[in-house]
Amino acid sequence: MERLRQDVVVWIGREIIPHEPAVRAWLKRNAPSSIEAEDILQEAYCRLSDLQSVEQIANPRAYFFSVARNLLLNAIRHARVIRISSITDLELATLDDGQPSPERVVAGRRELERVRDLLASLPERCRRIIEMRKVEGLSQREIAERLNVTENVVENNVSRGLRFLSKAVSEDPIAPSRAPGKDHDRTKNSKNRP
Amino acid sequence: MTERRTARTVHKEAAQWAARADRGDLTSAETQALDAWLAADPRHRGAYARAAAIWSTLDRAKALAAPVHLKVARSRRGWGLAAGAAALAAVAAAALVSVQVFPRSSAAYETVVGEVKHVALADGSSADINTNSALSISMTPRARAVALERGEAWFKVAKNPSRPFIVSAGDIRVRAVGTAFAVRRMSGGAEVHITEGVVEIWSTAAPGVRTRAPAGGRLYVPASGEGPRSLAGRGGVDEGLAWRQGRLALEGMSVAEAAVEFNRYNKRRIVVADPALGRKGLVGWFRTNQPEHFAEVVGQTFGAPVTTDATTIRLGAPPHER
Repeated sequence: MERLRQDVVVWIGREIIPHEPAVRAWLKRNAPSSIEAEDILQEAYCRLSDLQSVEQIANPRAYFFSVARNLLLNAIRHARVIRISSITDLELATLDDGQPSPERVVAGRRELERVRDLLASLPERCRRIIEMRKVEGLSQREIAERLNVTENVVENNVSRGLRFLSKAVSEDPIAPSRAPGKDHDRTKNSKNRP
Repeated sequence: MTERRTARTVHKEAAQWAARADRGDLTSAETQALDAWLAADPRHRGAYARAAAIWSTLDRAKALAAPVHLKVARSRRGWGLAAGAAALAAVAAAALVSVQVFPRSSAAYETVVGEVKHVALADGSSADINTNSALSISMTPRARAVALERGEAWFKVAKNPSRPFIVSAGDIRVRAVGTAFAVRRMSGGAEVHITEGVVEIWSTAAPGVRTRAPAGGRLYVPASGEGPRSLAGRGGVDEGLAWRQGRLALEGMSVAEAAVEFNRYNKRRIVVADPALGRKGLVGWFRTNQPEHFAEVVGQTFGAPVTTDATTIRLGAPPHER
C-alpha cells in the first residue's frame, strides 16, 4: 500500500486504533445530531495518515482526541446552524479522556493477546485465509493455489475479514470480551505468579 | 459524487481496496480507480488508512506461530490445549521459585518524554516511572538495589526485612523495608516523597548522617551531606505524586518553576520571556500533557501575551519589546 507511509500505518495500528472507542464515545457525546461521529473519525484517520513523522507525538491518545475535536469544531462552524454558545461549550469541554495512564503501557503489552482475540473472532474461512497470509506469510496467489480456489475468492475473504476486524476494533479492542471459564481463570492466575 | 455516502459504505469500500492492494499486483486501471477513489473524499483516505493499519496489526500474529500454532488454536478445544500448556508452565515456574527463594535478577527500564510506565518487579514490588526517566534494578539474595539514572519513580515496596530495598539517585540513598515512596533525581541531590511507612535517607558524602522520614514527608536532600529540607510549602505528597495520574499540581510554584515542570513532560517547550511574569505565583491542577492550557491560563490571569509555534510556547513579551 504505497499510497500510505508504512511507518505511519503501523503507528496508527498500534497507538491510535486502540483508543478509537474512547474517541468515538467522546464525539457522540459532543457532536450535534446533524454531524455524524463516524464521518469525523474517518476524516481524523485521513489527517493522521498525512503525518510526515510520528516520533514527536509523545501522547498519541491525546493527539487523536485533539485532531477529532478540531475536526468537530470545523464541522460545526461549517454547518452554521449551531448557536455560538454551543461552540464555546465545546471549546471549554476538557478532554478528560486524553490523559496518559500507567494502564496505557500495560495495554500495549497485551497487544499480542489482542491480535489473538481479533483472529479468534473471525468466521472460520476468513480466519484460515488470514492466518495463511499473516502467520505463514503466503501471498494471496499462493493461498489460492494451496486451497485450490481463485484469487478473487481469497481477496474477497481478506476483504470480508477486514470488515469483521474493523467492527471488532471499533467496539473495545483494549479489553476484548473473554470467553468465561478456563481462559479467564488462567489470566487471573498468571498475574499472581512471581 | 452525487450524494454523500454513509460511513458504513466507505468502510466496506476501504476494506475491498485494502484487500485488493494486499494482492500486490494492481493493474494500471485498478491503480487509477484506487487513486480516483482516494481523491474523491478525505473520508475515503481515512478509512483506507484505518483498514491498512488494522491489516498491519495482524503482522504481530507471526509471533503467535511459534509456541502455539494457530491451526491448533482454531477450535475451542485448541484453546483448552493452550491453557493446559500454560498451566504446566505455571507448575514448572512455581517449582523453580520454591527452590530459589530469592532469585537473582536484573532489569532496566526507560521512559520517553511524556510517558508514564507501571512495572512489576521480580520481588513483588512495583514502580511507576515518570516522564523521561531511566532506572536499573538488581535483585540479589541480600538486597534489592535500584539505580535511578535519571528522572523520577515511585516505588511500592514488598515487605521483606531481610532484604532491604535501596534506591540510589546519584549520591543520595533511600532505604526502605516495606513502604511506598518516590525519588526524583536532581542535579545537586534528590527529592523524596514518602507515601507509606518510613524511609532512611543519606548521602554518600556523609554516610553517617541518616535521616528517618515518615509517611507524608516531602523532602529535598542535597548531595553535599547536609540534612534534608522539607518541601512542605509545595503541598502534600498527593500533589507531589500527581504525575501518576498524568497531572501536575502547581502548589505554591512560580510561573518559571511551573514552566520547568511542564518541560519535563513535553517536547514543545514553554519559554518565559518576561522575568517579572516568571516570578508570579500560581496555584492549580493541570494535565502534564497540556502545556497549551497552562499557557492560556497564565495569559488570561496575568494579561500576558502568549505566542505559540510548533516547538515553543512563549509566555510574555521580553522587556525590551514593551
